[in-house]
Amino acid sequence: MKLNGLSRRGFLKGLAATGAAASLPALFAPVPARGAPFNPAAYQVFQNACPRNCYDTCAMRSYVQDGILKFVEGSPQSTFTKGSVCVKGYEYPRRVYSPDRIKYPMLQDGRGSGNWRRISWDEAMDRISDKILDIKKRDGSLLGLGLTKYSGNFGITNYSVEGMMSSLGYTTRFVGTPCWPAGIDAQNYDMGDMWCNDPEDIVKARYIILFGANPAWCSMHSVKFLYEAQRRGARLVVIDPLFTQTAAKADVYWRPKPATDGALALGMCRHLLDRDLVNEDFVRNYSHGYDEFENYLKNNVTVEWASEVTGIPADQIRQVTEEFAASTPATVWIGYGLQRHTNGGAMVRSIDAFVAMTGNIGLEGGGARYGQLQTWGFSYYGMVQKPPQGSVGFRGTGGPKGEFDFQLEGSSEYGDRSVNINKTAQEILDTKDPEIKMLWVACKNPFAQDFDRNKMEKAFKKLEMVVTVDQFFNETVQNSDIVLPVTTLFEEWTVNVSYWHYWLALNEQAIKPMHEAKSDIEIACALSKAMNAKEKGSCTFPEEADVKEWTIKEFNKGIYDYFGIESWEKLREGPVKAKLKSTAAWPDRKFKTPSGKYEFKSELCEKNGFNALPVYVAPIEPTAPFRLYTTHIQFGLHSQFVNLDWMRPFYSEPFVFIHPVAAKEKGIADGDRVRVFNEIGEVELKAKISDNVARDMLVMYEAWFPYLKYNVQNVVTDLRSDMGEMKTGAPGAAILDQFVDIRKVG
Amino acid sequence: MRYAFLLDMGKCIGCRGCAMACKNFYNLEPEMVWRQVYPLAEAIYPHSGRAFLSLSCNHCEHPVCVTACPTASYTQRADGIVVHNMETCIGCQNCVRSCPYGAPRYSATLGKVQKCGMCWERLDAGLLPSCVLGCVTGALTIINLDDYVAPGIVQYPAGYPVMKKISPSTRFILPKEPVMYGVKP
Repeated sequence: MKLNGLSRRGFLKGLAATGAAASLPALFAPVPARGAPFNPAAYQVFQNACPRNCYDTCAMRSYVQDGILKFVEGSPQSTFTKGSVCVKGYEYPRRVYSPDRIKYPMLQDGRGSGNWRRISWDEAMDRISDKILDIKKRDGSLLGLGLTKYSGNFGITNYSVEGMMSSLGYTTRFVGTPCWPAGIDAQNYDMGDMWCNDPEDIVKARYIILFGANPAWCSMHSVKFLYEAQRRGARLVVIDPLFTQTAAKADVYWRPKPATDGALALGMCRHLLDRDLVNEDFVRNYSHGYDEFENYLKNNVTVEWASEVTGIPADQIRQVTEEFAASTPATVWIGYGLQRHTNGGAMVRSIDAFVAMTGNIGLEGGGARYGQLQTWGFSYYGMVQKPPQGSVGFRGTGGPKGEFDFQLEGSSEYGDRSVNINKTAQEILDTKDPEIKMLWVACKNPFAQDFDRNKMEKAFKKLEMVVTVDQFFNETVQNSDIVLPVTTLFEEWTVNVSYWHYWLALNEQAIKPMHEAKSDIEIACALSKAMNAKEKGSCTFPEEADVKEWTIKEFNKGIYDYFGIESWEKLREGPVKAKLKSTAAWPDRKFKTPSGKYEFKSELCEKNGFNALPVYVAPIEPTAPFRLYTTHIQFGLHSQFVNLDWMRPFYSEPFVFIHPVAAKEKGIADGDRVRVFNEIGEVELKAKISDNVARDMLVMYEAWFPYLKYNVQNVVTDLRSDMGEMKTGAPGAAILDQFVDIRKVG
Repeated sequence: MRYAFLLDMGKCIGCRGCAMACKNFYNLEPEMVWRQVYPLAEAIYPHSGRAFLSLSCNHCEHPVCVTACPTASYTQRADGIVVHNMETCIGCQNCVRSCPYGAPRYSATLGKVQKCGMCWERLDAGLLPSCVLGCVTGALTIINLDDYVAPGIVQYPAGYPVMKKISPSTRFILPKEPVMYGVKP
């Protein structure tokens, strides 16, 4: 592999050494053609960060000319992002200038009517503040005002939305997360925290198992590290009920029956015992309750049993287990889909146990990788706001308001009232004394993201006022009274980190806000102004705020020390990575559990109503002929990105994927229109025949197509997963334990 | 010196990042693409939608667009890049009809044809083409075809039209399949 005397690898290395993989060495001497070459100096370049709910949280650069965002690219400084964003991120210039953007505050005469009219910010705030004061007068508290906010924008300054609510008084908060809570609790029971290795260190792994993770679609920037590990000789095993894009890149692919991964992991644990492959140093010196777990395995688990439960051949289970144990370091990446089951937390605990028994916890290149919140130690300046004097609220213990709740509980007599975000519709319908009368929606699209859409519509009808802060007229906006236009990331300052990698990126304002858009902070200021004009002291949020100054206030000594920088201004040159003493999580194997050890037996877990040991918990029985997966697709992040017209050449309509044998039984041909239905609703769309799905499964990828009536939440119930309440305030959602039937239309 | 795209289908995840990176850099019209990603038929790769051809202009050795164009709007640079000049294009679409790979695309809004020029403006500035920079997995690269030998490289993978006379410059490395176990498909 020679290129003008240089080896290809040398060439690539040369590119990397210039600091920007974008630069070409002189040996690629270009031939002049008509027209001028691209001149980067003709642009102002800003540091940005993609704030979406994504592992990769790309550090970006935006190129601006005459105040117009021309294009974006991935930050070359970040070894994780490495110059490229993704198919979604490259859509950003269109997102900013999309003709579909919400341009100014609007009022809908009749929710769902589509009769929108433009109103001024003053009128919007006047109507909103009137309603808030009305609720306070009627109820004597603001518990009738609810906030639902999650991951539409994970910018640190966006936590000012929570701050805005606190500055009004004690309110009702939709807490928890539909994303990953069961796994968070599971890892907390086992290790005392959720903490993953630096994902870039997976190149050091000699053996990699992806348990229900599909990075090719959900963490694309991680894929190059998997390839590098493979190039260095690592074996890649992908375990997934779906033949995913990542599965196609594996050396070995296992298709287990859904929600049986716990049995698989336990079978692997048992085989470690049988072959004397347990890492004695780890289980004797760094773990708690191992002997009881060993007894459980001996009395309850065999490889043949695991094979029967999962559908994976016993000799395969043995072989992969032996190979994994013979490779040091070896690692498992546990995907978030895996724990979206009624037995999700239990399954994560079983997988953790397998990694622990092989002694791979605490090793660089090893670990049971799930996620981390180590990099999130900001000041949360905007989030921490005091309630007005004399505020009345909820009496009782609150618990965490989600996994990103880093605020210490106050010593006040009152608190906010927490309701379960994973049962948003039910909570709106059921909550009493006082009822939820008004809902503020920010960084979230409940109609696309929360479960049982039909119930959601019923619940929203009960609300007296819905205010949604957004950029596009999505279904939640359609079911709101007032919509407020919010800035895109290029129109505001903030700072971003990932829950996966260890980079810190500043987000500079690159262009002026489009139309009448305001940032979440500025919206809070405007509300405060309106509130205090009507009733002095009714809102403690500042009436003026410089968003850049507020961003700077998010930094503190802890953040500076962790990332090894003196000042936030260093980030104006590009993102920085944490100064990690080790790329491994738990390098000293001092765990944060009650025993200080890895807990095969967790008394805390038992106290919270689960098994102390990571035992097998069977999946629920199907309630209809097909299990339905409504997982992510690479073209969108939940309801974002697919709506933009730039995506249409690549993804213009949704499909339900059905196995050829099942399709034949149902009389369905490729491209037929079908109804996918269950007891709560139905979805009509085209079928695509594929054996990427098993015979008793259907797959529809979640997305929002503004020109189609397509919403997977029509058929996803609000069934709970097992764990999640301890660390996030509410149990998770069993999004993948959904059952449907399918019929050809017409 | 002859530039060519090299697509490692073993690394390609079909994300379309390359094609969107192109739209991002050139601010293309919503429906316009200069690069497109095509899933391989199951007869070629047994798992539907899991292996891909990412294709733009192939910057052929003997480009038909150059000979088909009545206004000499196409030029082939000494480094092999086939450049289309929109200023002299009259939108007759002779090139669109001639190219067996569908590289030139007609914009009804502009009344002109557009095409990938391998980001020659970027190459001339010492930068990688947008699609190559935008490829998250390193599947899409550029090579010097005059001086590039690697095992397993093919010019005509299955599903890609064989056009020996015009000799497209794009090269490919074929995808692999995992060994599969478990619930029978």
